[in-house]
Amino acid sequence: MATPSIEVDHLTKRYGVRPVVRDMSFTVNPGEVYALVGPNGAGKTTVIRLVAGLAFPSEGAVRMLGSNPHQDPSVRRKLGAVVEAPAAFYPYLTGRGNLRLHGRLAGGVEEDRIQEVLDMMELGNAAERRVGVYSLGMRQRLGVAAAMLTRPEVLILDEPASGMDPLSLHLVHSVLREAAETGTAVLLSTHHLDEVVAYCTRVAIMEEGVLIDEVNLLDRRERYRVWVDRPHDARALLDTQPWIRHAAVRGDEVVFIPSESDVVGRVTAILAEAEIAVFELTRDIFDLRGYYRERVSSERSRRSGAWTPSDPRLSGEWEDPR
Amino acid sequence: MRSLLAMEFAKILRLASVRFAVVLLVLFPILWAYAPGIFKVYGFYLVSAYQVPALGLLSSMQFLLPLLVAITAAELLGMELSNGTLQTILLRPVSRSQWLLAKLIVVSVYPFAVLALFFIVSLLAGAPYGYGSFVGGTGLGQAGLLGQGTMAAGHALREVAGAYLVAAYSLVPVSLLGVLFTVLFMSAAGGALATLSVLIFMQLLIVFPGLEPYLLTTQLNAYAKPVANLGWVAALIALYCAAFAALAVVLFERKDF
Repeated sequence: MATPSIEVDHLTKRYGVRPVVRDMSFTVNPGEVYALVGPNGAGKTTVIRLVAGLAFPSEGAVRMLGSNPHQDPSVRRKLGAVVEAPAAFYPYLTGRGNLRLHGRLAGGVEEDRIQEVLDMMELGNAAERRVGVYSLGMRQRLGVAAAMLTRPEVLILDEPASGMDPLSLHLVHSVLREAAETGTAVLLSTHHLDEVVAYCTRVAIMEEGVLIDEVNLLDRRERYRVWVDRPHDARALLDTQPWIRHAAVRGDEVVFIPSESDVVGRVTAILAEAEIAVFELTRDIFDLRGYYRERVSSERSRRSGAWTPSDPRLSGEWEDPR
Repeated sequence: MRSLLAMEFAKILRLASVRFAVVLLVLFPILWAYAPGIFKVYGFYLVSAYQVPALGLLSSMQFLLPLLVAITAAELLGMELSNGTLQTILLRPVSRSQWLLAKLIVVSVYPFAVLALFFIVSLLAGAPYGYGSFVGGTGLGQAGLLGQGTMAAGHALREVAGAYLVAAYSLVPVSLLGVLFTVLFMSAAGGALATLSVLIFMQLLIVFPGLEPYLLTTQLNAYAKPVANLGWVAALIALYCAAFAALAVVLFERKDF
């Protein structure tokens, strides 16, 4: 396992006596896209600012690439971040002028690289225009361009989708996905759950400053239900397979999560071999929106004293594509 | 650091408060040089171009110049807050103290630039009175505006230029106080107004005669003091500067953004 690019260890942030982030721990590994989601006021932006080194933790610690960003500003050479929505720039400078300034602050960036990130974010034609006349979406794209300027190892983005049209959003998604594929660790906060499902690796659900759940989307993207005549035997059989991560009985069905892709043929084959009749095999699509709603409302109910625990891995949160 | 300083100098030139100050500093000496009520208010007639900058200094050091300097100092940091660029910069590999230090240096230079402009425009505005020797004084030396006979042009120029230099130096802590309060209140308006309030408050403290020699506002009159007394004043001003700058850096280092 690679050393995490971001390590958040029992992080607590209080403003006065009011805690806005409570005892939060998570890690983001190289190549991962980690999303913070939660209702307004859940503490997402505070976490982003704490991790980026803009705010100081009341308790706990943040490490970026093994260093404390407060004590070692040089670690920020490997950081690209957008923490304002829209991204903040000097309005009197051009897009290119702002990127040059960022380049100088980062210790020097070649002119070719500036042109490269401008083109990457489709801002080449607007590069010589003052940022003051940029639209909200253009500013956001310039923000991502500035963040990508130094080929960062860590990318931190607060609401990258804010103010973007669908095409710009698609562009930003591809850029972030490509960055992750080259080993960059991406931490972002967002309200766009579709965006999260599209390309994030893990998602942390926050409510009132607490990380109430962390979902590994790699595990969740594929789940199957198989309707059989002997569900308990089928579950026992599937559970012994190394390529099945988890299996459970739900009524006449066995619900299972594979750890490998293309398992349908193998499942039907081993069930047929055990003479278990298969009536239907369905692939479910993970409904993050539904799952999120359930987790947040159950957390709220739990706090108000009316919580009933459920197995979040295998209930409720999946939608039948039929 | 050199790169940061260059950036901050470029930024200060773009500030609205700097443009506003330039307009006032150009307008003020021109109006004063030809104001019909000078005799009525000050009891003398202008007879030399060297008296115009002296008159400008005498009438603006208590309020106008400190205010202009404080507003710009506060705006240099405040504009980063209003643009949202403060966070953007702090995400780069620049230490907070280094970045604020660059701003503190730039606002410390600013009073010298302001008074240099004021001095040049005032001298030019006084051109019709002539640049030769004259009977009277600059108002900045011991002889006052009426003088003790004929004053040589070179002497008058030295006296006025020296007074401007001392005045600029005494405004540096006001600049730094502007930054300190902007760090504290995270607002340019808050920073400028708090600085102004402190200066007004200090002026009221003259009711405590023991305190008066140490007050920042007392040092704003240092330009009119004999050269022999300037050592102590210079040290006191340097102390104010160091205290305000250090406090600003310490607070800034601990701020959450």
